[in-house]
Amino acid sequence: MLGMNLDPRSKLVIVFCITTLAVVYNTPRALFLLLAGTIGLLLLFRIDIKRVGGYLKPYMLLLLILFLAQCIFTPGGEVLLAAGSLRLVGSRGLLLGTSVVLRLLIVIAAAILLTTSNSRDFISGLVQWKVPYEIAFMVSVTIRFLPLFRDEFVNAVTAVQLRGVELKKVSWGKKMALFRQLFFPLVYGAILKAQQLSIAMEARGFRAYPQRTYLRQLRLNWADYGLILSCPVITLLLIGLSIVGG
Amino acid sequence: MAFLELRQIDFSYPGGRPAVLSGVNLALNREGISAIIGPNGCGKTTLTKIMLGILRPTSGEVLLEGRSVQEYTLAQIGRRIGYVFQNPEQQLFSSTVAEEIGFGLSYRSEDPAVIRERVEFLLDYFELSPYRQVFPLHLSYGEKQRLAIAAVLANEPEFLILDEPTVGLDACRKELLAAHLHKVARLGRGMVLVSHDTAFVNRMANRVIALEKGRVQRDSGLEGNVGHES
Repeated sequence: MLGMNLDPRSKLVIVFCITTLAVVYNTPRALFLLLAGTIGLLLLFRIDIKRVGGYLKPYMLLLLILFLAQCIFTPGGEVLLAAGSLRLVGSRGLLLGTSVVLRLLIVIAAAILLTTSNSRDFISGLVQWKVPYEIAFMVSVTIRFLPLFRDEFVNAVTAVQLRGVELKKVSWGKKMALFRQLFFPLVYGAILKAQQLSIAMEARGFRAYPQRTYLRQLRLNWADYGLILSCPVITLLLIGLSIVGG
Repeated sequence: MAFLELRQIDFSYPGGRPAVLSGVNLALNREGISAIIGPNGCGKTTLTKIMLGILRPTSGEVLLEGRSVQEYTLAQIGRRIGYVFQNPEQQLFSSTVAEEIGFGLSYRSEDPAVIRERVEFLLDYFELSPYRQVFPLHLSYGEKQRLAIAAVLANEPEFLILDEPTVGLDACRKELLAAHLHKVARLGRGMVLVSHDTAFVNRMANRVIALEKGRVQRDSGLEGNVGHES
């Protein structure tokens, strides 16, 4: 399986290139093609797309809110929808809204590639590239924390519903207030957990000794070298083409 | 008709892991206190999540008053069945303790005076009054547990499922919880306790269901059916 055999550093390079393109591209067409390419890559890596859909489900409401906010609050362009003299959706807002949603989907889809390697391999791969262990560890903790954060959000939404709140029937105003109410405790809870993790790490001697040794050494194979060299070149070419093409 | 009925429930978590539950049949009445006991990892919490429709069984069906739980929304189930999670942190999402207890009521358009009165009672009963403005995740584990129970009881559901409700509670608080649960049971509300606390189970439950390796090994509600599911 391609995904399993690749070095985690190759996957990091791929994800870095994809997210760079997602930031540089600013038209829905280009972003849609990039998303299709990323999904193709996930299929190549034999990642269950249905499961990816399941991962994305909790974020759908957030994406919809972002999309609507961009549509409504971005000025300029042709008026596409209006209520009397009140302009609701403009063509520029619609384009920007679509681009933001596609961009986020690309970033999430690309990040899923990283879940095909374990965090220990990421750390040792980065350390072999002379990245300080502390930084490498932080990167791996971040990768580990993302699904946890998603689970916390899912749990909170489940708990809200189990208290009898029919989310589908709640008005948009109340729904926004509810998500705002959930957001602060979730973020603060994540900070508390990070603090507890840092205490646990220090209690177990994190950074107590200057030198670390590693049992497993990662080795790049020809496919890794090919990807690490070609991905940035292709990315630069695509960026160049998008600049030239306007 | 049983209030909750589980028919031939099988469950496995995704990823080809071994079955957590196999062929579980259970019928729970609206009244009475049942306890589910069993060693770690035998499927107790998974079973409760299936009862509530949080998890979908791999095969089999769960009926709530004769209708499949899949026909209800989580909110509809939540209004009828109060659920205390095994880890109280998973169900605390408000900015203050008082808000947490009154949350469900405020979304039901209850009279603010009724909400205030019920919140005050539960704050007092579970000795959380000094923490009414505290952020729930700043509480100790036992306090979080009491808060999670209080928040669920505030909704006055007709049935309760409490997953390890005594973890983190001292003897005195266990006593208070037992007294309150007995009071709730006397009002004709049934409940399921999932617990490792044998003394608490023996004292509270009039039916004990023992799970082992995902199967019902013993059900005191069924005469002499040791080794068989209902």
